[in-house]
Amino acid sequence: MHYSKLILLFIFGIFQGSPDSAAPGVDAKEIMDRVDRLLRGDSSHGTVEMTVVNRRWSRSLALEIWSEGTEKALIRILRPKKEEGTATLKVGSNMWNYLPKIDRTIRVPTSMMMGSWMGSHFTNDDLVKESRLITDYDISISFQGERDGLPVYEFLLLPKPEAPVVWGKITFRVRSDNLMPIWSRYFDESGELKRTLTFHDFQEMGGRLIPARMRLEPADEEGEYTEMIYEKLEFDLAIPRGTFSLSSLRR
Amino acid sequence: MLVLRLGWRNLWRYPRRSVINVSAVATAFVFLVLLLGFAEGLTDQMLENGTSLLLGHVQLHHPAYLPDRGLFDTLGGDQGVSPAVWRDLPGRDGIQAASPRVYGFALLSTGEHSAGGQLIGVDPLLEKEVSRFLDGISSGRALSAQPEGRILVGEGLARDLQAGIGDEVAAVTQASDGSLGSALYRVAGILRTGLPHVDRSLAILHVADLQELLAFPADRLHEVALRIGDPMLADAVARELNRSLPSEVEARGWGDLAPQLRDYLALFDSFYGFVIGFVALFAALGLLNTMMMAVFERTREIGMVSSLGMSPDRILLAILMESLLLALLGLVVGGLIIAVLARPLSVQGLDLSRWMGELSMLDTRMDPVIHFRWLWGNLWKPALGLLLAGLLAAAIPALRAARMDPVKALGTPGEF
Repeated sequence: MHYSKLILLFIFGIFQGSPDSAAPGVDAKEIMDRVDRLLRGDSSHGTVEMTVVNRRWSRSLALEIWSEGTEKALIRILRPKKEEGTATLKVGSNMWNYLPKIDRTIRVPTSMMMGSWMGSHFTNDDLVKESRLITDYDISISFQGERDGLPVYEFLLLPKPEAPVVWGKITFRVRSDNLMPIWSRYFDESGELKRTLTFHDFQEMGGRLIPARMRLEPADEEGEYTEMIYEKLEFDLAIPRGTFSLSSLRR
Repeated sequence: MLVLRLGWRNLWRYPRRSVINVSAVATAFVFLVLLLGFAEGLTDQMLENGTSLLLGHVQLHHPAYLPDRGLFDTLGGDQGVSPAVWRDLPGRDGIQAASPRVYGFALLSTGEHSAGGQLIGVDPLLEKEVSRFLDGISSGRALSAQPEGRILVGEGLARDLQAGIGDEVAAVTQASDGSLGSALYRVAGILRTGLPHVDRSLAILHVADLQELLAFPADRLHEVALRIGDPMLADAVARELNRSLPSEVEARGWGDLAPQLRDYLALFDSFYGFVIGFVALFAALGLLNTMMMAVFERTREIGMVSSLGMSPDRILLAILMESLLLALLGLVVGGLIIAVLARPLSVQGLDLSRWMGELSMLDTRMDPVIHFRWLWGNLWKPALGLLLAGLLAAAIPALRAARMDPVKALGTPGEF
């Protein structure tokens, strides 16, 4: 699936359903589509510990996240105290940040979409991008069998001509028995590895099997990473109307 | 003495010819001096335009700061520098002023309108002594000396933000400690540097305000810009400074910081030198021509004095003296004209905006007024050159005339 989508889906805790083991010989697009659809929840609510480590500083944020489909999301910082109440609202391809210190809501302009989200290695674009992997990429299985003692599929995703995507190539490893993602790698247009996203600590949460820890590492900055660990997650709850609004962003 | 008197009298014997000669010398002289003066003025001005907008003459940075302008590459590294390091610079090595600067990038917003802004934090009083970009306020007022949460925004940026004077602008940025820094500023004025792409993103605020936004203590600076007495000495001043500056602080002259400006000035200088050489050559040739004609015209007269018993040496000397006087007279007349023109031309200058409009070159706003710059060297050098050209011009026909057989010379048709 598309990287950004995956993050969204992950952040908003939307891994759902219990996939059947895919039968060998199933076509790649269908599997990716299934994974893609699996990750679309009706709604979710959870808390995440986000740790950002870079050359200069490291810090941890506690985030509370609500989501509805892939269209709507609200993320609010709970800790540290200094940034408590800082929040991001995403509705469709629009994004706003609320800054409690100055009590202002700021719309993130298109030109800033490639900028870092809350100081992490994720970009604003990662949260907002709507593109679906199966519509924007040509997907093929590049490997099927055992890797590190696990039965896996490896997918090769190449953008379709004129697809509005950031990456030149994505490779994806998925466990073939439960269709849980293991890692995905993102390459630029010249084929250079830019970032690697890895999935860990698969466990039941909110009644579903999910990777409770996800780690994003930029390829060009050794030792830097952003890690997200789910602490609590519930699915398909009734989210109050008006949650995904500018007024609720300010709370 | 006799020779001098003879020369002087000869001058007035044919006033028309003398006037032509004198005006030839004077014209060439005025022309050359003005040309040289404008060349100096133009070079100065290009340098001034290039350095005064923002650059300054010498800048101090962390050695790794340029060209990427990394947020963390502050003077003195993570420890920062004590203000004494730069505050005490003015007064030594011809340094006149030092201005501390902090750079940052932030998302600026007035609600629904947001845009990325290149922020520069300055000390308004010190900055005014080094650069003039704070002068380009098209409306509103300047920043006050104390940090008061005021901001100047570039014209284009103000348009993108739809922000006017007194409006509130929110700034959000990734602060140096990783947190999301945010602050509210009030628009004090709209800035117009003359460079549209700069005005589209530039926003200026007090250095302390920007340090707070970026979560930097007061000793963290990205740049200190210096103004020095003679910009041409920038590299030498930078070298001298580098001997005593603390570690992770490096001084560089404008030529290093803006090599394109240095190259451009060098190109201009050589081209202008070429043009002036040509003009000087033509002026000398013109003078040569008038002088030669003047002596040739008088072949008969020279034959006459020769037959009356004047020695060839004397004749030669008399003619040379005459042209020396002519040339001197021309220089005096030219000098008077220059004296009259120099002041208005250097004070008011030649306003070319009628022809050029406002223009910028190499990220440098060009002042459309060219000023004449007075240098003694640009007066006496052309004067000496013209004097020599005048003497040379007279010597050739004079020699010929002096050696001439008087009888033959008398047979030459002439004014006599």
